[in-house]
Amino acid sequence: MTLPSSTPTNAPLPAPLQAPLMGVRIIEMGQLIAIPWAMKMLADMGAQVIRLESCERLESYRGDSVYLNDISGEFWNRGANFYEQNRNKLGITLNLSKDEGLAILRQLVSISDIFAENFTPRVIKNFKLEYEDLRKIRPDIIMVSSTGYGFSGPWSGFGATGPATEGASGLAYISGYADGGPSMPEIPYTDYTAGEHTVYAVMAALMHRLRTGQGQFIDVSQTQTASATVPEALMDFAVNCRITTPMGNQHPSLAPQGCYPCQGDDRWIAIAAEDESQWRSLCQVLGRDDWIQDKRFSQGLARWENRLELDVLLAVETTKWEAHRLMSYLQNQGVPAGAVLDSKDLLFDPHLKERGFYEVLAHHPSTKIPPLPYASRPWKLPGSPAVAGKPAPLMGEHNALILGELLCRNEQEMAQLEEQGIIGYAPSNPQPVQRPPLDEQVRVGRMQRYETDFQEKVSEAFPSTPESG
Amino acid sequence: MPQGALEGVKVLDLTHHVAGPYSTKLLADFGADVVKVEQASGDPARRIPPFYHDETGPDKSLLFLYLNTNKQGITLNLKTRQGSDLLMELVRDSDILVENFSPRVMSSLGLDYPSLKEINPSLVMVSIANFGQTGPYRDYKANDIVEYALGGLMYIFGGYHREPLKHALHQAQFKAGTNAASAALIALYHQRLTGIGQHVDVSIQESIASALRDVVNNYTNTGAIRRRQPNHSGDLTRIRQTSDGHILPNPGMGLGLDWNVVVEFLEAPDLADDRFNTSSARLANAEELGEILDRIFQTKNKYEMFHAANQKRFTYGVIQSAEEVLADEQFKHRGYFVEIDHPVVGTITYPGAPFLMDGTPWEAKSPAPTLGQHNDEVFGKRLGCAGEDLARLRALEVI
Repeated sequence: MTLPSSTPTNAPLPAPLQAPLMGVRIIEMGQLIAIPWAMKMLADMGAQVIRLESCERLESYRGDSVYLNDISGEFWNRGANFYEQNRNKLGITLNLSKDEGLAILRQLVSISDIFAENFTPRVIKNFKLEYEDLRKIRPDIIMVSSTGYGFSGPWSGFGATGPATEGASGLAYISGYADGGPSMPEIPYTDYTAGEHTVYAVMAALMHRLRTGQGQFIDVSQTQTASATVPEALMDFAVNCRITTPMGNQHPSLAPQGCYPCQGDDRWIAIAAEDESQWRSLCQVLGRDDWIQDKRFSQGLARWENRLELDVLLAVETTKWEAHRLMSYLQNQGVPAGAVLDSKDLLFDPHLKERGFYEVLAHHPSTKIPPLPYASRPWKLPGSPAVAGKPAPLMGEHNALILGELLCRNEQEMAQLEEQGIIGYAPSNPQPVQRPPLDEQVRVGRMQRYETDFQEKVSEAFPSTPESG
Repeated sequence: MPQGALEGVKVLDLTHHVAGPYSTKLLADFGADVVKVEQASGDPARRIPPFYHDETGPDKSLLFLYLNTNKQGITLNLKTRQGSDLLMELVRDSDILVENFSPRVMSSLGLDYPSLKEINPSLVMVSIANFGQTGPYRDYKANDIVEYALGGLMYIFGGYHREPLKHALHQAQFKAGTNAASAALIALYHQRLTGIGQHVDVSIQESIASALRDVVNNYTNTGAIRRRQPNHSGDLTRIRQTSDGHILPNPGMGLGLDWNVVVEFLEAPDLADDRFNTSSARLANAEELGEILDRIFQTKNKYEMFHAANQKRFTYGVIQSAEEVLADEQFKHRGYFVEIDHPVVGTITYPGAPFLMDGTPWEAKSPAPTLGQHNDEVFGKRLGCAGEDLARLRALEVI
C-alpha cells in the first residue's frame, strides 16, 4: 500500500476517475456511530482514515453482534456493527494514558488534515487534545468534535446516546402513536443525523481550507443537528405557542396516509393518497369504487375528518393482498405506496440490487467470516467514484504500516511499544456480550424470526467478485 | 467579519418542497451564493402548514421560511424557450446546480446533464430523487412514509403489536437534503482540484437505508430478522413515563453494568433480587421487571432525574417538548435560536446553526426571499438584462 501525501494542494493533480478525497488524511478517535459513520463516508470517497483504538477500553461494537453470535476466540474481530461503521479505514491501537502513546498521536496529527473525535469534552481536555493544543502542532488542522449536547455549555459534560439526543432535540416528543407517548425507532437514529451533518461540516471546512489554507474547530452538537430537522415544530411554538403532539402515521392535512396490514405475519404496506386522482386510483385498485362516491370520503377535507374510520376500512381491504403485489399495483396507477421492508426484504430489494447499493466486502481470512454485503452510500459520484471497498481493520491491523512505515519506528522500537503496553493486538480485558440464543430472542420479541439458510441465500445473491476476494 | 466557509461558491437552486431546499440552505447558511428558481406559482412548500399566526400566504409557512434563509429568489418559467435560455446563462457561471424534480422532468425541459455540461463542463449537478435516477422504482411516487417503508426504518419503529411507525414531519427529506449537500461539496472539491464537473445522484430511499444499525447485518450475520420490540423486553433503555413527561434511562454505556448501583440510584430495593441481578435473569423476568420500572419512574421528575443521573455518569436522556427545547439552558448557552427579520412576518425565532464552525461561522444574513424578490438583481445585474428586456420577459410571463 502506498501512503499519499497529506496535503491536497501540494499533491499532483489526481487523474479524473480517482476518488475525490485521495490525499486527505484523517485521524479518527471515534466510537460507536456518530463520528465513525461520518469518517467511513469520507474514507469511501478516498480519504485515508487512521482509526485509533484502545486495548484497555474496547470499542463496544467490537464485543457485540458478533458473527454467528460466537464469542469464542478473537471475537473482537467479528463484531457486525464494527464492520458496518468502519470499512475502508486503517486501524491502529494506542494507549493514550501513557505519554508515549499521546506523543505518537501528536506526531500523527502533525502530518494530518483532520482530527475527528466523539468523546465527552472532559476526555479530550484531560488528554490535552483540544483544538488550541492541536493547532500548535499542525496550524491548519481541521478538528471536529461530535458530542451529545455540544462542546460548550452547562450540559457539555454529559455523555449521551443517540436516543438521549433524539429526546432532547424535540424529535421524540412529536413522534409516536396519536394515542400514546413519544416513540423512537430501534436504532440510535440521531447518531446518523449527526454523522450526516458531520460529513457536510468537514467538507465545508475542507473547501475553506483549500481556498484560504486555514483550518478550524467544528463543534457538532448531535442534539442541534436533530433539532435542525424539526424546525416547524419548534417555530410553531415560538410563533404560535402551539405544541405539536404525535399523530402516528397520519398526515397533518391529507388522508388517507398510513400503514396497513397485508397477508402474512407482521406484513404491512405504507400508502399515502395526496390528491383526488390518487384517491380514486386507490379505491379502484382495492375494488372499492363505491368509496369514490361515499360522502364521508368524497373530498379531501371529509376524508381527513373521517380518517380513522377510513383507516379501519382500508385495513380490511389491504389484508387481502401481499404487500409487494399491492405496492406494484398501486404504483402502476401513480399512488405512493411502499411495502414495509424487513431487513431481509431490504437486502434483496430488486431496486437497490440494480443500483448496486449493497457492496460485497471480503473479510480477513483469520475471521472466518465469508464475504458479506454492506450498505454503501446515499450518493453516486460517477466522475469521482468511491474506492473499492475494504473491510474494517482487525484490532491493530495497521500498527506496522502506520507506526513502522509512516512514523519510521523500527522493529525493535515496535516490539518495545508492545511490551510497554502502548500498542497491542487484542483487548486487555475482553468482555464480549453473549446475546441470548435466537429462539430466546424471538420469544422475548427482539427478533421477528430467524432463518437457517441465510448463508447460502446471501452468498447466492451477493457472490464475491474477484476484487472482493 | 469572518467569511463563510463556502464564500464564492455559486449555486443554482431548482429545488422545491423539503429535501432540495434543505441541501441548498446548508450551502447558503455557510456562505454560498444561492439563487433559488421558482415557478410563478411558487415553491409548494410556501403552502405547507404551520403558518405564522395561522394566516395562510406565500410568505407565512414557517417551514418555507426556515428552509430558504440566505437565498436569493427569482421566478422563471422553464417551459418557455426564453426561460430555459436565461437558466442556461445562469448555469454558465454556476459551480453547483441542485434539483429534486422527478427523474424525467429535467430532460423534458431540455435541462439534462449532457446539455448543461455543454454550457459548463465544470458544473456539479446534484439530482435528489425518491429512488435515485436509475432502477425499477425510479418513477415510483413517494413521500416520507413510503420512504420509511422502503428504506427499512419503519419495520423497526413502533409497538410490538401495532402497525409500524414513521417519525413525525419530514425526516427522510432532511436526511437526503443533508446527504445531497455533502455530496455536492465532495464533487465540488474534486472540481476545484481537477476542473471537472459531474452529475451526482442522491436517493432518499438510500439515505434511510445507509443509516441503519443491526438491521441487514443481523440477517447477514445470524439469519435473524429484527422487529419492533415489546416495551417489556428486559431492555433497560426504553422510554419510561415520569410524573411530568418522559425520560430515557440508560444504566451506563459499554459492557459493564453494576446492578447494585442501578438499584441504589433508582431507590428501588425490590429490584435487589436474583430475579433481576444478571442480564439473563432480567431477560427471563423481563415483563415483571418492566412493570416495576414503570412504577418507579412514575414517581420521578424528569429533569431532576436527568441531572442526578448525569452526575453519576449514567447517560440518561430527557424527552423535551418544543416549549422545553426553546427554554433549554444548553441551547441558550450555545445561541442556537436566532431572530431573523422578514419583510412580511417581521422578526421571528428560527433554529440556527446545526453545528458551530469557529473560523467560518453560520450566519443568518437574509430571510427567505419573497416570490421573485431578486429578479431585478439577478437578471439585471448578474446577467445584464436591460430594464425594458425585464419588462418584456414579465409581460411574456417568463419571469
